[in-house]
Amino acid sequence: MYILNLKIALRNLLRNKTASLINISGLAIGLAACLMLLLYVSYEWNYDKGFKNADRIHQVMFNFYGADKNIRATGDQSPNTIAGALKEEMPEVEHISRILWPVKRLLADGKNSFKVEGRYADPEILKIFDFQVLYGNLDHALNDANSIVLTASTAQRLFGRMDVLNKVLRFENQVDLKVTAVIKDLPPNVSYNFDCLNSWKLFEQLNSWVVDPNWHNYSFYTLVTFKQGTDIPAFNEKIKNMSRKHAASVSTDSEPFVYPLADLHLYGRFINGKPAGGQIEQLRIFTILALSILIIACINFMNLSTARSQKRAKEVGIKKTIGASRKSLISQFLMESLMLTFVSVVIAVVLVELCLPKFNHLLDIKLKIAYAHPLNWLGVIALIFFTGILAGSYPAFFLSSFNPVQTLKKTVKLKSSFSLNFRQILVIVQFSFAVILIVATLIIYEQLQYLKNKPLGYQTKALVEMPHEGNLYLKYDLLKERLLSSGAVSAMCHSSGSISQQNSNSTGMEWQGMSEADKKMSVNQIYTGYDFVKTNGVELLEGRDFKKGLASDSVAVMLSESAIKRMGLVNPVGKDVIFQGVKRTIVGVFKDIIWGSLTTKEKPMIIAFNQENSDVITMRLNTEKDLKENLETIGRITREINPDFPIDIRFLDQLVAEKMKNEATLGLLSNLFGGLAIFISCLGLFGLSAFSAEQRTKEIGVRKVLGASVSGIVQLLSVNFVKTVLIALFVAMPVAYLLMKKWLDKFDYHISIGWQVFLITGVSTVMIAFLTVSWQAYRAAKSNPVDALKYE
Amino acid sequence: MIELKNIEKYYANKGVKSYILRHVTTSIKQGEFISIMGPSGAGKSTLLNILGMLEEPTYGAYEFMGEDVVSLNERKRIELYRNHIGFVFQAYHLIDEMTVAENIEAPLLYKKVSGPERKSRVADVLDRFNMVAKKDLFPNQLSGGQQQLVGIARALVAQPSIILADEPTGNLQSPQALQIMELFKKLNEEENITIIQVTHSEVNAAYGSRILHLLDGVIKEDLAVPQGV
Repeated sequence: MYILNLKIALRNLLRNKTASLINISGLAIGLAACLMLLLYVSYEWNYDKGFKNADRIHQVMFNFYGADKNIRATGDQSPNTIAGALKEEMPEVEHISRILWPVKRLLADGKNSFKVEGRYADPEILKIFDFQVLYGNLDHALNDANSIVLTASTAQRLFGRMDVLNKVLRFENQVDLKVTAVIKDLPPNVSYNFDCLNSWKLFEQLNSWVVDPNWHNYSFYTLVTFKQGTDIPAFNEKIKNMSRKHAASVSTDSEPFVYPLADLHLYGRFINGKPAGGQIEQLRIFTILALSILIIACINFMNLSTARSQKRAKEVGIKKTIGASRKSLISQFLMESLMLTFVSVVIAVVLVELCLPKFNHLLDIKLKIAYAHPLNWLGVIALIFFTGILAGSYPAFFLSSFNPVQTLKKTVKLKSSFSLNFRQILVIVQFSFAVILIVATLIIYEQLQYLKNKPLGYQTKALVEMPHEGNLYLKYDLLKERLLSSGAVSAMCHSSGSISQQNSNSTGMEWQGMSEADKKMSVNQIYTGYDFVKTNGVELLEGRDFKKGLASDSVAVMLSESAIKRMGLVNPVGKDVIFQGVKRTIVGVFKDIIWGSLTTKEKPMIIAFNQENSDVITMRLNTEKDLKENLETIGRITREINPDFPIDIRFLDQLVAEKMKNEATLGLLSNLFGGLAIFISCLGLFGLSAFSAEQRTKEIGVRKVLGASVSGIVQLLSVNFVKTVLIALFVAMPVAYLLMKKWLDKFDYHISIGWQVFLITGVSTVMIAFLTVSWQAYRAAKSNPVDALKYE
Repeated sequence: MIELKNIEKYYANKGVKSYILRHVTTSIKQGEFISIMGPSGAGKSTLLNILGMLEEPTYGAYEFMGEDVVSLNERKRIELYRNHIGFVFQAYHLIDEMTVAENIEAPLLYKKVSGPERKSRVADVLDRFNMVAKKDLFPNQLSGGQQQLVGIARALVAQPSIILADEPTGNLQSPQALQIMELFKKLNEEENITIIQVTHSEVNAAYGSRILHLLDGVIKEDLAVPQGV
C-alpha cells in the first residue's frame, strides 16, 4: 500500500507541475535559508567548544570597582603575575598559562618570509588545549625560549612541507628559533587562534617591560584548567582578594574570577560583574529568523495543499467508500508531504553547497557542511520529519475529514467559512513575518548608515597606517623626510596605537580641583610625536598640536572635549595634569575621537607626547596623486629603509568598517533572509491565487458572459488577497516597532524610528502582493468564457 | 438482510423542513436485484446513500445484516464497506492517478489481503472482464463503458455481499448500458450478490427482480418484476 501511495504521490506531483514546482522550490529555498542560518548559529555556538576538555578551560577575568564600591567594568585581561600566584597558592589549579594577543610576526627561513599571526604563551598552554600534534612532541615544545610551534598550514607556507622539525627560522629579524612541533590547523571558531606559538620566555627576552611582575598592567590573557571536582564558585570566592593582597592600590581596585572560556564568546558582556548576554542575542535572532523562514515555507505548503483539496476530494471520497480508514488517508497525505520535504531537503543541501562560498566570503567566516558527522544526518532527518509533519499535518487532517457523499456529489463546500478563514489566517501569519522582517531590515540599514556616517573625530579618507617596526624606529625622521618630499604623503605621524581601535587606557590621572574618587577615572591614551592633528584630521577646539622646537612640549598633552567636561576644567589650555606620574601641560583640546565601539559613549581621552612609545605610523596620502602610485612610492621608500620587513599598509576606513562587523553581519543577514522570506511568501501567494482563479473559472466565465470587464475581474480576484495582506500589515507593524525599539535601545547612539519606514513597508508589501496576485487574475480574466463554461 | 423502518430525511432551513424521504419502510433479502425508480428529486440517491451508510437518516431505524447501523461508529462502518458493500457510481469515480489494475486492487489493500492473493484476485477479475490488455492504462485512456466496467470490477473484487449502484449506466450509450446490465444480472443469479440500483430506465429496471417507485420521498409502489422478460 505504501508503494502504491508513493506512486500516486509521484504521479500527482508530475501532473500538477506548476503547483509542485512552487511547493518544492518554496520549501527548498526556505530549508536552504534555514540550514544556512543554522550552520552559522552552530558555528558561533561551538566557538571554543571543540577542545576535548572545553568545559574545564577557564579564563581569568577581573571586576574593577569604582569609587562608589560598585563594579564599574569587567575585563578579560589580567596582569602577568596572576598566573604564577594562582599556581602557587591554589592547589585546585591543574594547568595555568599566560597568553598574549595575536600579533603579526615576521617569519623567515632564508628564502621565504611571511607575516603570520603569533602569540606568546607559557608552556602549559599546550596542556590546557589538546592541540593535535603532527610532528614533534608537545610536552616540552615551549620550554626553551628559542622554540616555536607552527600550525600545519604555516609550515606548509614557509617550507612547502609539514615535517619541518628542528628547522631554524628567523623571527622578527631578531632571533633564530627552532621548530619544536607542528600541530594540526586550529578550527576557525576558536578565540585563541594563531599561526605560530612562541615561548613566553622569548617575549621577556625581547621586551624588558614584561619581565617585572606588575599587578597593575592588565594587558595579558590567563587561561586555566582545574583538577576534577573543583567547585568554581567556591574557588572564585577564595581568589577574590588576590589583587588587593598582593598589590593594594589607590587607583585600581579589582577582584579576579574565573569564567568558562566556552561561555566567553557568547556571553561576553558583563553588567555589574554579572554575565549579561552578548553574542548569544544575535544568535537568538538568527535562530528565530531561521525558524520563521521555515514556518513561512511550511505555510506555503499547507496553503497550496489545502487549496488543491477540490482535486483531492474525489480521491478521498472514493477511497473512503472502498474501505479506507481516516488513519490510512492521513498517513497517505503525511507521506506525500514527507516525500516532498525529502526532495526539498536534497535540493536545499545542493543550494546550500552552492551558496556557502559566497556566504562565507560575505561574512568572512568558514562554514561547511560536515557530512561525516552522524549527528548532522540525524539533524537532517529530524528536520525532514519536523518540516514534513508541520507542513503536511493540516492538509492531511483537513482532506481526510471530507464526507464521501459530498465530495462525490461535487457539492463539497470548499469555500466553507472555516477552511478559507484558516487559510487566510495562515497568509496573515506569513505576511506578518515578512512585514516584520522588512521593517527590521530597513531600520537596521538606517542604523548602520547612521553609525557609518557618524563623525569619528578624524578623517578616514586617504588615511593609511603601517606598523612601526625594525629600522623604522631609528630612521623614522629619514622616512618622514623622504616620504614627504616624494609627494606621496601630505602628512604623517607615529603613535602608540592605531587611531581606529581602542587599545590602551589607564587610571590615576590627577588635576587641580579633582576629588579622591576621580583617581579611578579611566582615560583612553595615545602617545605620539609631531603632526598627529594634521595627519589624522582631528579638529582642535582650543590650543594647538605639539610643536617641534618647543622643549616644553616634551611633557605636553592634549585632552578630548569630553575629558575636559568630565574633569570640570575651565580654560584648560596652559593648566597642568599629572599623568602616569609625570606633570604635563595641556596645550590643546580636541573634538572627541570615536576610538572604541561606534555604538557606545566615548571615555575621556588623552593624547600625550612620547616619541619612544610607538607601534604605528599613520600617513595622509596626497589626494592630488594617483592612489596606486602613492602606495607604490611608500612601499618602495619603506623597503629601502627597512628591507627585512614586508610592506603592510592598511586603510583606516576599512579598519573602521571592521569595527562594525557584528552589526554589518546582522544587516547583511537580515537583508538577505528578509528578502528570501518575502520571496517565499509571494511564491505562496502566487500559487494560492492561481488556485483561486482556477476554482472560480466558472464564475469568471459567467461574469464575462454577463459583460464584466477584465479590470473588474482582476479586481474581484485580487481584492481578497490584498485585504489579507493589509490585515497582516496592521498586525505586524506594532510588533515590529516594539522589537526594533528594543534592538535600538542597545546602542548609546541610535536613530529614532520614523513613520516613513512603515509607509515604505506598507506600500511595498501591498504592491508586491498585488502584482503577484493580479498576474493570475489577469490571466484568468483574459481567458475565453466559453472554455470556462464548457469545463463544468 | 436489510431492514428499513420509518426512515425520514429532511433538511431544516429557516425553520421550514424540506423532506427528502418520508416513512420509508421496506426489507431487502439476500440475493434480490432491486431497482429504485422515480423522477428527479424523488429521493432515490438519498435512499441509496442511506442504504450505503454514506448519509445518516434524520429519523428511523436501519438494520444491516441484523446490526443497527444508525449508531454505528466510523470504524465499524469502514469494516462493513471493506467486507460487504461495493459501490458503483454514475460518474465511475475511478482514481485518476491509479492504473486500471491499481484501481481494482485498492479495496483489497484496505482489506489487508495478502500480496499474492491480491495479485491473483485482480488477475482473475481482469480476466473475467476481458481487460487484461488494459490493466496498465489510466482511467482517462478508457471509454466510458470500459471505465464503468473497471468501477464494477473494483466493487466486485472485495467479494461484497451487496452492490449499490447509483445510475450505473447514466453516462453510457445503450449497447454499453445493456452490457453492464447483463453483467449485473449474471452476478445476481450466479453469485447471489444482492444488487440495488438507482435508475431512470424501465429497460434497466426490467433486469431486476423488484422495483421500488419513489415519489416525493415516499415509496409509491413496490413491485416484483415478472421473471423471464
